[in-house]
Amino acid sequence: MTHPWPVAITGLGCICAAGTNVDACMEALYSGQRAPAEPSRFTSSHPTRYPVFEVTGFSEPEELLRTSALGLHAAQEAIADAGLDQEMLRGLRVGVCVGTTVASAMNNEQFCRDYRAGLDPDLEPINRIMRSNPAAVIAREFGFTGPCQTVVNACASGTDAVGLAASWIRGGICDLVIAGGADELGRITYNGFISLMITDETPCKPFDKNRKGLNLGEGAGMLILESEAVRTMRNQAALSFLLGYGSACDAHHLTAPRPDGEGLRYAIAEALSCCGTKAESIAFVNAHGTGTPDNDRVESRVLADLFPGIPFLSTKGYTGHTLGAAGAIEAVFTVACLQRGIIPGSAGFTTPDPDLGGTPIEECTKIEGQVALSESLAFGGNNSVILLGTRGAA
Amino acid sequence: MRITIKGIGAVGGFGCGVTDLAAALESGLGRVTEMTVPAAQGPLQIPAFRSETERLEGFVPKRTLRRIDHYSKMGLLGAYLALQDGGLLGSDLSRLGVVVASGYGATATTFAFLDSIIGDGDICASPTHFANSVHNAAAANISIMLGAKGPSLTVSQFDMSVPSALLSARQWLAEERVDAVLFGAIDELSDLTGYLWHRQYGTQHPFTISPLDTDQDSSIIGEGAAFLLLTRMDDNRAYCLIDNIDTGSLPEGKLFSPPDDALLLLGADGHRELGTRYRATIPALSRVACYTPIYGSMPAAAAFDIAAGALILQNGLAYPIPGVAGCNMDGLQVPLETTRVCALRLAGRNEYGAVSLSRL
Repeated sequence: MTHPWPVAITGLGCICAAGTNVDACMEALYSGQRAPAEPSRFTSSHPTRYPVFEVTGFSEPEELLRTSALGLHAAQEAIADAGLDQEMLRGLRVGVCVGTTVASAMNNEQFCRDYRAGLDPDLEPINRIMRSNPAAVIAREFGFTGPCQTVVNACASGTDAVGLAASWIRGGICDLVIAGGADELGRITYNGFISLMITDETPCKPFDKNRKGLNLGEGAGMLILESEAVRTMRNQAALSFLLGYGSACDAHHLTAPRPDGEGLRYAIAEALSCCGTKAESIAFVNAHGTGTPDNDRVESRVLADLFPGIPFLSTKGYTGHTLGAAGAIEAVFTVACLQRGIIPGSAGFTTPDPDLGGTPIEECTKIEGQVALSESLAFGGNNSVILLGTRGAA
Repeated sequence: MRITIKGIGAVGGFGCGVTDLAAALESGLGRVTEMTVPAAQGPLQIPAFRSETERLEGFVPKRTLRRIDHYSKMGLLGAYLALQDGGLLGSDLSRLGVVVASGYGATATTFAFLDSIIGDGDICASPTHFANSVHNAAAANISIMLGAKGPSLTVSQFDMSVPSALLSARQWLAEERVDAVLFGAIDELSDLTGYLWHRQYGTQHPFTISPLDTDQDSSIIGEGAAFLLLTRMDDNRAYCLIDNIDTGSLPEGKLFSPPDDALLLLGADGHRELGTRYRATIPALSRVACYTPIYGSMPAAAAFDIAAGALILQNGLAYPIPGVAGCNMDGLQVPLETTRVCALRLAGRNEYGAVSLSRL
């Protein structure tokens, strides 16, 4: 059986460079605060010190990867925000669906260095990876017995995890799903993105004429998706609703978006069709907006075509690109903006680029409307879009 | 919602294609080879099931494949074989979804990327290795080669990757997001995974898996890709139906309840501890079979189990269990005829995944 859209969102949690909870993040976004800096937790021999967006004031337990600890932190906030406790959760079929890029890879650098040097290194770093599957960590912590899924769709992972979780609710597979994404900063992704020459040596400037690339970030975003039956049973108000989800593959290139944005267009069309939402109902678009020349060109042109005059922004100027967490963090920000009726300016943007389809919002702006779109574009040509807002406003 | 398995594409230690898989299941013979593990005390030979991908050149020009790594090649070959087997090769694939499950991803390329940093410094990090080490590289390569523009998903849930990903694949079909899903599981051998295997399981490496023998560790590392072409039920031209997919964790001490009369296809793979858990989790007098000795131990083996289940249901007859000699089978039954199969995967302390299949 498949229940119709929409699916209720009853709790939010977030940790990133902008703050260690949702309120702190929104305060930072609205006040325009951002603090990219050289990495403090690892070193690099690159002559250029590329800035990153680190989470400060947070440390992970020794037995877990930082990614999973970040995910757990955000999940705890989301569960509390939804007014849930262990007693309520007992007896419910609770699933966990989490996007990541880092936490599933068997790539501990020190272990590999020692192995390469002909040593027999301690297996603990590998064992830590094996017990740190982000979805399983959350399920284990709370004693959930439902399905676990760690989505590894590169930078669209977080958005896909939220969309797939809604599908589990709609299919009656789960009563409630903790959905989101988590990723940590590290030398491997730092060096990887620099090697692709899509990293900016200064603070990132999404949609700006002088943009040179992304800055990496870290963090986690989590949402509680809940069936109507459970929400009614516990008389819980929804913070927002997931009104649609769409995803499509460019089938074009491993790391570059398709120039005409065809995959993104398909994904947007699918998301809008779920509740029959019209483009003019969209109050704003929380764009992927990484600050790379290719991404911002393709994305802005598609937005100009499909949503002319509708404001869009990128929040990566506040968080950096948090990879597998990005879509989930941005989903949390989108819901929070809808609740507050105001969107922040796109940090880093100053100079319009005539080659792009438009310019993002530059300062805090009141929004009209109750529906917004959040989108992610990823390596592998993945394009994923979720539609969030008030039920019936679509 | 019930879905059908329309095509099977498999590449593994047994060979390549559904005919090779069926022949290996029939004969009970897996082709165990060896791999060299560069251990601290010097190179070691350990048994392994390795996959060959030469047949991919029958589908894709060799020149096009030159930058594609072994992990993606196994996936591509599995994908093409499944489409061919299901009669969709060359068809319009605009409404095809691609779902890939992998326990560990492209491990050789991941380590090659690390090698580029460790050996030559951060500034020499290889962009090609980095791009291909991303977990969804295989799914992306499949979509690019096939021109499949539907949704694409890669899941990495270690040993539960297959049942977890299959859950979402079924939902895509139920929600009519796609007309068909190319569902596959891939895991690959690399120097480092071989080394880790050796470190985890010691110096004794038997050359035969005895999956239900709980007195000794007999697992053999494997690699390969098993792909299934899934559709909503539209006609009777399919191997079998997928009736149900269930995954999560079982409460401590709780027995797994298989569907009535189902042959339980166990994912036991020679790990003594895991074998003990299977014995503690399945009810006495359960009807069981196990075919991991044909393809080896790896998270992707769960998809090979489903492929084996589909072949069993097509024929109505179970294959003999390979490596059964010396195993402790008391209280379990090996049936011949069956119309229902449940592929059961256990992992960790209490994780499980169960995929129930039935005859059309």
